[in-house]
Amino acid sequence: MEVLLYSLRKVIAGIPLVLGVTLISFLLIVYFGPDKTYELVGKNPTAEQIAEVRSQLGYDQPFVTRYVRYLQEIVTLDFGNSESTDEKVSSILARTIPVSLLLAMPGFILGNGLGVALALVAAYFRGGFIDKLIMGSAAVGMSVSFLIAIIAFQILLSSSDGLNLFPVRGWDTSTPLAYIQHVTVPTLATVFVALGYNTRFYRAVIVEEMTRDHVRTARAFGVPPARIFYRNILKNSMVPIVTRVVFSIPLIIISGSLLLESYFGIPGIGKVTYDAIVTGDQPVLKAVVALTAILFVVAQLLTDICYRLVDPRVSLR
Amino acid sequence: MTAAALPVERHGDSLWRRALRKFRRDRVGMLALLVVGSYAVIAAGVMLGWWATGWAEISGPKWAPVSAEHWLGTNIIGQDIFSRAIYSTRTAFEVGLVVAIGATLVGAVLGALAGFYSATWVDEIVIWLMGVLDSVPFILLVAAIAYSLQDSPWSMHIAMIVTFWIGTARLVRGEVIKLKGLEFVESAHAIGLNRLSIIFRHILPNTFHILLVQATISFVAAIKSEVILSFLGLGVKDGMSWGLMISESTFEVLAGYFNNFIAASVLMFGLVMAFNMFSDALQDALDPRTVKSP
Amino acid sequence: MTQPLLEVANLTVEFATDAGVIRAVDDVSFTVTAGETLALVGESGCGKTVTGLALMGLVPSPPGRVVSGSVRLQGKELTRLDEQALRDIRGSRMAMIFQEPMTALNPVFRIGSQMTDVIRRHQGLTRRQARQAAVEMLAKVGIPVPEKRIDEYPHQLSGGMRQRVMIAMALSCGPQLLIADEPTTALDVTTQAQVLELMTELQREFGMAMILITHDLGVVAQTCSQAIVMYSGRMVEQAPVQELFARARHPYTAGLLASIPRIRERQLQQLPVIEGMVPDPLHLPEGCRFAERCAKAKDYCLLAQPELKPIGKTASQVACYAPN
Ligand SMILES: Nc1ncnc2c1ncn2[C@@H]1O[C@H](COP(=O)(O)OP(=O)(O)OP(=O)(O)O)[C@@H](O)[C@H]1O
Ligand SMILES: [Mg+2]
Repeated sequence: MEVLLYSLRKVIAGIPLVLGVTLISFLLIVYFGPDKTYELVGKNPTAEQIAEVRSQLGYDQPFVTRYVRYLQEIVTLDFGNSESTDEKVSSILARTIPVSLLLAMPGFILGNGLGVALALVAAYFRGGFIDKLIMGSAAVGMSVSFLIAIIAFQILLSSSDGLNLFPVRGWDTSTPLAYIQHVTVPTLATVFVALGYNTRFYRAVIVEEMTRDHVRTARAFGVPPARIFYRNILKNSMVPIVTRVVFSIPLIIISGSLLLESYFGIPGIGKVTYDAIVTGDQPVLKAVVALTAILFVVAQLLTDICYRLVDPRVSLR
Repeated sequence: MTAAALPVERHGDSLWRRALRKFRRDRVGMLALLVVGSYAVIAAGVMLGWWATGWAEISGPKWAPVSAEHWLGTNIIGQDIFSRAIYSTRTAFEVGLVVAIGATLVGAVLGALAGFYSATWVDEIVIWLMGVLDSVPFILLVAAIAYSLQDSPWSMHIAMIVTFWIGTARLVRGEVIKLKGLEFVESAHAIGLNRLSIIFRHILPNTFHILLVQATISFVAAIKSEVILSFLGLGVKDGMSWGLMISESTFEVLAGYFNNFIAASVLMFGLVMAFNMFSDALQDALDPRTVKSP
Repeated sequence: MTQPLLEVANLTVEFATDAGVIRAVDDVSFTVTAGETLALVGESGCGKTVTGLALMGLVPSPPGRVVSGSVRLQGKELTRLDEQALRDIRGSRMAMIFQEPMTALNPVFRIGSQMTDVIRRHQGLTRRQARQAAVEMLAKVGIPVPEKRIDEYPHQLSGGMRQRVMIAMALSCGPQLLIADEPTTALDVTTQAQVLELMTELQREFGMAMILITHDLGVVAQTCSQAIVMYSGRMVEQAPVQELFARARHPYTAGLLASIPRIRERQLQQLPVIEGMVPDPLHLPEGCRFAERCAKAKDYCLLAQPELKPIGKTASQVACYAPN
């Protein structure tokens, strides 16, 4: 009950954010966006034809009316049909989001899991050779562009000049083997570029927790390192770690997969977004922007509830 | 009343002197600075027309191998890869500098206003704006801005500035909230200086160490984003950049020609890596916690 | 003569910082006999906390390092023990409580969980027995309704309560030595007095020795039998408390005593102020470290450091060429 009320309050508090995001997307994509009139009218249009199309598109309406209509579409989750394929936008989303999740999840889990693991090792040996080695490698990894990593892994693993183990591009999840074959190279590239940032971030968090007073207290009372590590360090690091993980979810679903999907020709939400950008497919773009904004509000809610689970000082009032 | 007479300014002064001393001792940082400096010289040379002037000419056969004439061979239509890679250095600096300066300025001003007027409507609006812009996927923002600017060559820069100022603003806001409680600000109030002058002449200069580090971070982020945006067709419109070279190379590598890819990747990696190291060393040197001295 | 509880000889601790090596504790030697209370006083930064940490084997490393010296607890050399063996001693035979009660407890666990964790580890009790012991201990340190309080989180307690919890935790395994690092500095004045009173009471009851690190000379006079005055990492004077107050030998001690106001409205949060500055630990002078601030300094004070020497047949020791 307490959690429910809290969630409700948080959702209400998220409304200005959603309004802001939709306003900005409305301004950029619809209001100042490209004029669609001439795509829709036939050859040699008369002035009436133009006026008619413009009123169909709502271009003759005042700003507020058009924005409210845009909001209505979002609230009813009715974005209409894609301008390029005429498929219903909601069915496009339903079809492509699972693909993106399957594509992004392995890299996301490995990138964060390995990041935490390496950060722990580095923090444990802090100042020593192993720490320097790990953090030096992280600095190198952070300096490699995602695109370069993708191409390099593709050359190394999928081309006839390299090991030629995996398909060059495309997507197939019909069997587990096919899935593994297609997801490996994108995953490796993702992990390679994310690991440096993650390790660095998690190491900073863990070192900060390691130097807290209560860790010294525990040591002064003879608590062994493994237990201190679990009870004093890991548990207290959970808040920043959870925040980072949860907040990167909306981004990996949309922006993170955009490059991977358009590079490898994978039919996920990122590819759809990219195509919509290129062709100026407004209904799809509107849907994607609204969706991200909502995901962000949800992410905020989730992290707040996680805080409460981890840290008793946070109250849900 | 001059700024120099205020006590915190003196403190700031010694922060800089100590930071400089510490930075000079940091061998990695000095090396990184040297590398960045060399890139800057290359970029300046391109700008002044000293070298890489023939980057757009078709000067040889398609996919010519490495030779005395074409140091790194030629690309798919016979352009010299070496001069294209060198020319792209200038593009990288242009994008990096424009975005770093723009994002830092916007971040400084909005962050300082939000911090100074913290817990008022000014602050609320800036925080709201940061949350909103954080929630729009970066690439969509670039695309949308490119739309509304009718494919202006600056849409990429503007989109990056619109996104990158947020990190700087958050830090500046926090620092300004801390600074405005300090004595020298209160004395500035007491002698009746107007608010804007207090914010921009007295408080903001004391956040300069944050701005400097944030500018280097934005610079690196801009160069890295350029590659991806150019590949997606949303980046550099005319001219040449490492991102465009790498996009070109995606066809070439499948045919077994790697020169274009390697040239652009290695040059870019070198600059980004050096800049990252420089940024780290700078941050270290300016961190008051590590410059602890009684 | 019986063996002292704790013997510290030539203890030296250094920190490697970016600017150079800081010698935070320099050649410190003293003994503590069972049941006695030893005061460790000195200005902020003179190395009191680091000395306490070094006794426990808890100097943060890196950057810190115990360079030399020996610490013997009942004849057993601690500096050469491995971590495992030290862990068995920490909390059970010697315990330390810290300056900052607000941050010294783990915020994400209930205090009961933190206390029973320690009790079970050292005494091998069952969960229920340990909880019972914890409740009794909390009652002993004056926490009302301990069986309720034990299930609260640290942030639900006031600063004074938390310090009481720390004391309860420290006493729960019956240590022979308690190192109390400014246990009351962060508390308000009335709470300070109560907590101190509680500590001396319990100390008597448990027959435990205590090293009390403090800024408050009034507290030293009331509760301690011996006192060590530190300055810039070195001991400058050690004496029985009565003698110290009757006749401070070192000019620094004399300065401290002279500047205590006769009638104090409130307990001092800091030592009284003496003109001048502590030397920069990175650039220590060749001679006496106090010379710069000493009214009686002579040329020869600047040449070499004075050794800590007994004064005549008294129990006092002082490091000064011209003691009072
Ligand atoms: N982790 C550390 N890293 C570097 N130097 C340290 C560290 N801990 C302590 N020092 C140095 O050791 C010296 C002594 O510090 P210590 O904490 O023992 O002082 P103190 O006497 O307890 O002071 P206070 O009364 O303020 O608690 C200080 O000069 C400090 O700079
Ligand atoms: Mg201390």
